[in-house]
Amino acid sequence: MGAEQEQEQLEKEKEKEPDENEDTMDRGYNLNDNVDILAEIMARLDGRSLGVAACVCRLWSTVCKQDRVWEALCDRHVIGGAGDPGTRSVVAALGGYRRLYRLCLGPALDRLTCSGETTDSDKQGWAHLSLSLSLSLFSIDCYERLEGKQRPASLLFLCKPVNVA
Amino acid sequence: MGPYGSDSTTIASAACSGPEMDAILAGAGFGTRLSGPCNVTNASDYSLPFNPSDLTTWVDSMLTDLTSATTANLPPQPIHATWTNQIYSPLNPTDHAASHVLMAQQRKEEEDSGIRLVHLLMTCADAVQRDNTGLAASLVDEMRVLLSRVNTLSGIGKVAGYFADALFRRIYTTEVPLSTSEYEVLYHHFYESCPYLKFAHFTANQAILEAFEGYDRVHVIDFSLMQGLQWPALIQALALRPGGPPFLRITGIGPPSPDGRDALREVGFKLAELARSVRVRFAFRGVAANRLDDVKPWMLQATQGEAVAVNSVLQLHRLLTDPATTPAPIDSVLEWIVGIRPKVVTVVEQEADHNKPTFIDRFTEALFYYSTMFDSLEGSRPQHQRQMALAEVYLQKEICNIVCCEGENRVERHEPLAQWQTRLANAGLHPVHLGSNAFRQASMLLTLFSDEGYCVEEVDGCLTLGWHSRPLISASAWRAPDADVSPDDSSVIASNSNNCNIIINSNHNNNNSSNNVSGSDDNRISV
Repeated sequence: MGAEQEQEQLEKEKEKEPDENEDTMDRGYNLNDNVDILAEIMARLDGRSLGVAACVCRLWSTVCKQDRVWEALCDRHVIGGAGDPGTRSVVAALGGYRRLYRLCLGPALDRLTCSGETTDSDKQGWAHLSLSLSLSLFSIDCYERLEGKQRPASLLFLCKPVNVA
Repeated sequence: MGPYGSDSTTIASAACSGPEMDAILAGAGFGTRLSGPCNVTNASDYSLPFNPSDLTTWVDSMLTDLTSATTANLPPQPIHATWTNQIYSPLNPTDHAASHVLMAQQRKEEEDSGIRLVHLLMTCADAVQRDNTGLAASLVDEMRVLLSRVNTLSGIGKVAGYFADALFRRIYTTEVPLSTSEYEVLYHHFYESCPYLKFAHFTANQAILEAFEGYDRVHVIDFSLMQGLQWPALIQALALRPGGPPFLRITGIGPPSPDGRDALREVGFKLAELARSVRVRFAFRGVAANRLDDVKPWMLQATQGEAVAVNSVLQLHRLLTDPATTPAPIDSVLEWIVGIRPKVVTVVEQEADHNKPTFIDRFTEALFYYSTMFDSLEGSRPQHQRQMALAEVYLQKEICNIVCCEGENRVERHEPLAQWQTRLANAGLHPVHLGSNAFRQASMLLTLFSDEGYCVEEVDGCLTLGWHSRPLISASAWRAPDADVSPDDSSVIASNSNNCNIIINSNHNNNNSSNNVSGSDDNRISV
């Protein structure tokens, strides 16, 4: 119902201001009209940029929340099993790629780059984690959440401040 | 800290309520030792006499000095000159000169007190061994006085405090064993604040996964289920196995829960739900028993054609007795383990020798071991003070058991890896090399946990995790000889992704009654 109303509103606006519309059409291509291309671009961003992009507008926020965008990001940072359809269904069952990145991969990668594991300058920000380890940690967190009553704490160790002295 | 640190600003709540927690902490003497919020990162309040991670070397040097009967008045040289790199606020440069003198003086005082403390501990332990209770009591009093002047928040002060407390309990009181729920809470906090248990679980899971390759029906017997934190990772790994997941059965052994709550069944339900969500056919059985030697093989219902894995994390040492007495319960348990013909037996044990017959030897070994343990706990800086405090209480309970209890009550009878290897080989098990995958996974896990201090080593195909080259926990894998049931023999199970059975078999010590509760059709059968 809501979509139909929005459609009607859009058509009314088009009728009201035909001159302005002609102007925008002459200006050319609008990225926001092509959500798929937008998603393709988002899929190439790193975690922080995705977070920033999600704050731009409602459309971008919706696109950035799609799991396939986060899947592409996770696949770039894990070793082994990326892109496997079996992996995808398991990750989806455990909570999705976005949550996997937020709770597990993101903090772990931060920790690895912080501690200087990837010392090559061209490898900066491209630290890798084995898929089995990240999913193991993620599954423990998912399991703790099943109980519901207590705050899952098994992944908190990834958020600890690191001694970078 | 990245942007994901939002969870870290709130206190991780434990499974039990605040008053219960305070009771546990008070029972450990925390009410008297900690006053107010303690901030161990504030260097201006106190100064450490030496690098905390150098503790064991220092204790070692103290003990050799004592045994050679020379007065130990030499302050030890810190071997790692990097102690200034710890997270302590640097001194104001302008006050350097004056505070240097002050700090040096404080350091000397602390060192002297620390030396004196260790001396007193050893003398007291010796007195206890010779049943000289009067002398022991007076020494304990002296130690208490000294402890009030020494910094007990870290380093030798803290460890000495725990051991002095344990000696006090040995002389005056009887040690009360923990209730199951209290123990589970402490275990959970210990699990989260340091990597030993995580290392144990992940390494064992890797060995089990490799042993289960090619089998369609697999059965895992867990000697201590606790909250089942080891198994989500295995369930997930089996789900991702090339060729599809097998039919997984888990039998969890645990103590019977008081007040009607069926803890084993609850854990079983949670595991079943996780298995269902990742589409792994799953069945759970709980066996409630207070001691492992009460468990009989028929309760486990190992069937033909399935690959069996036996998993024991820090459990086998509870079955040992004083070296002189035979037969030990461990022998009968190992016998039926071999009888089930498991594909893999994963054994994780503390790497320490706490089962020596003489008290003073045990005491000395324990002092070394737990000094290193507490070092590592401080070094890895757990998230919250409360979590670290509870992890320490967990260790303190172990210390008390080793120091205070004798005979049947003493269950923390740790033995080193070499002795376990001999024992398991004598029982008829063959060792299985933990592969490079396990090693790599363990190393990666440690990198995530902390940057420095922890080290994974491979010894004879077994992995050990230690702190600064002192191994503290070891993981090994074994198999029964001729345990080669061909995977083709297994019967085909009708695949039904929603098929989850929860069956609880409870066996109490003196009764032979058993209750069968099937989760799917809710029948209660009492025999």
